[in-house]
Amino acid sequence: MTEGPEAPENIPEPEAVQLPGSVHLQDLSVNFGRHQALKNITAAFSPKGISVLVGRSGSGKTTLLRSINRLNEEFDACATSGQVYADFGQGLIPLYDNPDLFLPDLRLRAGMLFQNPNLFPVSVYRNLALPLQLAAGFPKAELPDRIRQALTSVGLWKELENRLDLPAERLSGGQQQRLCLARTLALEPRILLLDEPTASLDVHAAKEIEDLLLQLAGRYTVIMVSHSLAQAGRLGSRILVCEEGRLSATLDAGADFSEEMLARLL
Amino acid sequence: MTSHMPGEGVKRPPLFRLFKHCYGLAAPLLLFCLLSLLGFLLYHGAPSLNLSLLFGDVPPLEAISGRRPVWDGLWPAFTGTLCLIGLTMGLALLPGIGCGLYLAEYASPRRKKIIDSAVDILAGTPSIVMGLFGFTLILFLRRTLLPEANTGLLPASACLALLVLPVLIVGTREALEAVPESLRLTAAALGFSRSQRLRRVLLPAAGQGLWGGLILAIGRCAEDTAVIMLTGAVANAGLPAGLTAKFEALPFFVYYITAQYQTQEELLLGFGAALLLLLLAGGLTLLAHGLETGYRRRWQGGKR
Amino acid sequence: MRKIHGGTGAAERAGEKAPLLLRLAAGMALLGIAMLFAMILAFALPAFLQPGPGGAFGWFWRPYQGEFGILPMLAGSLLLSCSALLLAWPLALAVCCWTLSAAPGLLRTGTRAGIRFMTAIPTVVYGFAAVFLLTPLIRAGLGGAGRCWLAASLMLSLLVLPTMALILEAGLKPRLDRLCLGGQALGLSKLEILWFLVLPQSRKTMLAALLLGFGRAAGDTLLPLMLAGNAPQLPGALTESLRTLTAHMALVTANEVGGAAYNSLFTAGALLLIINAVVSLLARRLAGRPGNLPGEQM
Repeated sequence: MTEGPEAPENIPEPEAVQLPGSVHLQDLSVNFGRHQALKNITAAFSPKGISVLVGRSGSGKTTLLRSINRLNEEFDACATSGQVYADFGQGLIPLYDNPDLFLPDLRLRAGMLFQNPNLFPVSVYRNLALPLQLAAGFPKAELPDRIRQALTSVGLWKELENRLDLPAERLSGGQQQRLCLARTLALEPRILLLDEPTASLDVHAAKEIEDLLLQLAGRYTVIMVSHSLAQAGRLGSRILVCEEGRLSATLDAGADFSEEMLARLL
Repeated sequence: MTSHMPGEGVKRPPLFRLFKHCYGLAAPLLLFCLLSLLGFLLYHGAPSLNLSLLFGDVPPLEAISGRRPVWDGLWPAFTGTLCLIGLTMGLALLPGIGCGLYLAEYASPRRKKIIDSAVDILAGTPSIVMGLFGFTLILFLRRTLLPEANTGLLPASACLALLVLPVLIVGTREALEAVPESLRLTAAALGFSRSQRLRRVLLPAAGQGLWGGLILAIGRCAEDTAVIMLTGAVANAGLPAGLTAKFEALPFFVYYITAQYQTQEELLLGFGAALLLLLLAGGLTLLAHGLETGYRRRWQGGKR
Repeated sequence: MRKIHGGTGAAERAGEKAPLLLRLAAGMALLGIAMLFAMILAFALPAFLQPGPGGAFGWFWRPYQGEFGILPMLAGSLLLSCSALLLAWPLALAVCCWTLSAAPGLLRTGTRAGIRFMTAIPTVVYGFAAVFLLTPLIRAGLGGAGRCWLAASLMLSLLVLPTMALILEAGLKPRLDRLCLGGQALGLSKLEILWFLVLPQSRKTMLAALLLGFGRAAGDTLLPLMLAGNAPQLPGALTESLRTLTAHMALVTANEVGGAAYNSLFTAGALLLIINAVVSLLARRLAGRPGNLPGEQM
């Protein structure tokens, strides 16, 4: 057991080291029972721009994303080896086997958005208030302010200002997904993990979310799984191709990637 | 049923042809048996379904307040059953629901397996064996700690609690496991701790399903006869006098009347009691089923 | 060396143990089950250890002559449950196939509702109705006392039928749904798909239904007690009386004979406990995950 809480010995891509918000995977493998979902992945994600993961279904994209907020551990028979380092502003810290890291804290700092808008079956207001109050522990007096800010940042405040008591399930699909994003942003994360966030939305709603993500990319490290190569091309400043649990290619925005080129890689 | 298939000309095995000709009869036969039994009960029992079935000649208020004992009505048996239900639920709720929550949310796969097997065995244990458990427990206590131990309301409730325990455990567990995985993951991803997630997200979401299991357990408790037969139900105890006193109960009353009725009035009272018990147990089970169906539809159907 | 994370319970990995109250609750539930076994087996042990004459393992029940054998009751239990299953299992299969394959209609909806409702009927109510409706019919039609093997067996099959039908339906329906469209596209009727494709795949489910039905039939007390006549003998015909282990237990405790009679009581209890434990473990293993069996908890 050579890995302590100090920085990793061989850093994959030196330019990204010192920036807060960067994420490093080192020799990461994830197994579910006998199935090996990720095979010895080493990679780095920089906080600049959006990193997009693409690949066929079953190639390990979602597992990779979930290894960063350790959500894989919610499933029985999951075993992880290797290490993930992330910088939340105090230098790179290891996320696995780190007694100083409180798991709920990690999940607050690395917020996640799912494919389907997973709202709790309560009102709009309670959806935002519940995690703020319980998970992040903000005092009750601050809640209305924080909720207004979060809703404003996703452009929902004007629409919902007077309807905060509405059951969240009554919103439209696009509104629901934006509400989910607001709920995550309200917790003040450093890293955003997005798992096909527009897959369940219609074209118009997807466009709204994409625009939002481009705005957010400057402030957060955004790592996103996408099912659409076109979307990856539109949003990504970096594209990583997953294949059978490995990263088979990495493309930077500078190296003018086109859809055809991506299609060939897949 | 559909007879214009091109394969119709192909000869099928004889057993299949026999089955094909007869299988439509089974369901009507079953319904016929069910309806004739129910009709028979209703025909004889319905006329006596009124207040005097419960209270006899005693004015209801005086009977309910316990000022005058009821000799020719079902009131003592009815209150006995209610007391049994209350006590049993009081004893079984914490271990039942708690164990269900533990299984659904916390247990490691190995422990899950062990507890599951134990619960399976308990669910398959005949109720008379549960009654025998109470009986041996009292014998044991008499010989060791408590020479004056005897059958009564509390031992009967303890055995019934053991009887309904699997119903509660399985009901709770299934209700929680029916909550969509996505809700669980979302709560985790938002940084909820496990107990916060359970209390604030999963339990409210599973509420209706939990009630289904609970009501099923109450119905089970109301109808069971074999357990209380061995642990203190008698025919003429009056209203339950205390935790250690003998008691009357509806199902035991029905059994007793079948075996010992003397007059036509007693027999009619028996029909009334059987019908009342049927309505109680049947109503509770249907309510539980309705709740569970609605609950499932909410999470598995709909737009989610 | 690399460290492997995880492997056991998700909660423990997440660094959180179950709250004390829940662990306590699970402990209490397990303790209850353990005590059930401990008490009954401890009381039955002497009878198992001394199988001498006059003990529990004899063929005659004559308390006044010092003979306390319960083998006739064991045989009675087995005969009665097997005969009930012989009638109920094919009927349950037929009902289940019919509700799955017939076109939806009033009768089908009614049958499903009826089956659900039947699981809720208290056995004592079944017994009560049968004593006054079925036994006079048998007495008039076949002679004898009316309270006999046949009466108990008919009512027991009515009791276990809905349980078995529900288990069968739960096991067969997903398989049928999967094969239905493809099979129909090949020109097979739903019933033919069920019979030739689904049933051969579902041997385990069918066996599990049979076993759980047996467990319910052998464990029921009130129907044999009220309907089977309770003579401690081996019945020679369907119209003769028999006594089951469960009814025997109810009768012995009601009459408070004491002493050696109680030994037979504990032995009967232990036998039932063991038989049913084996049956339910086997059935659950066959039917897959626990909790997939509706009706069992009714």
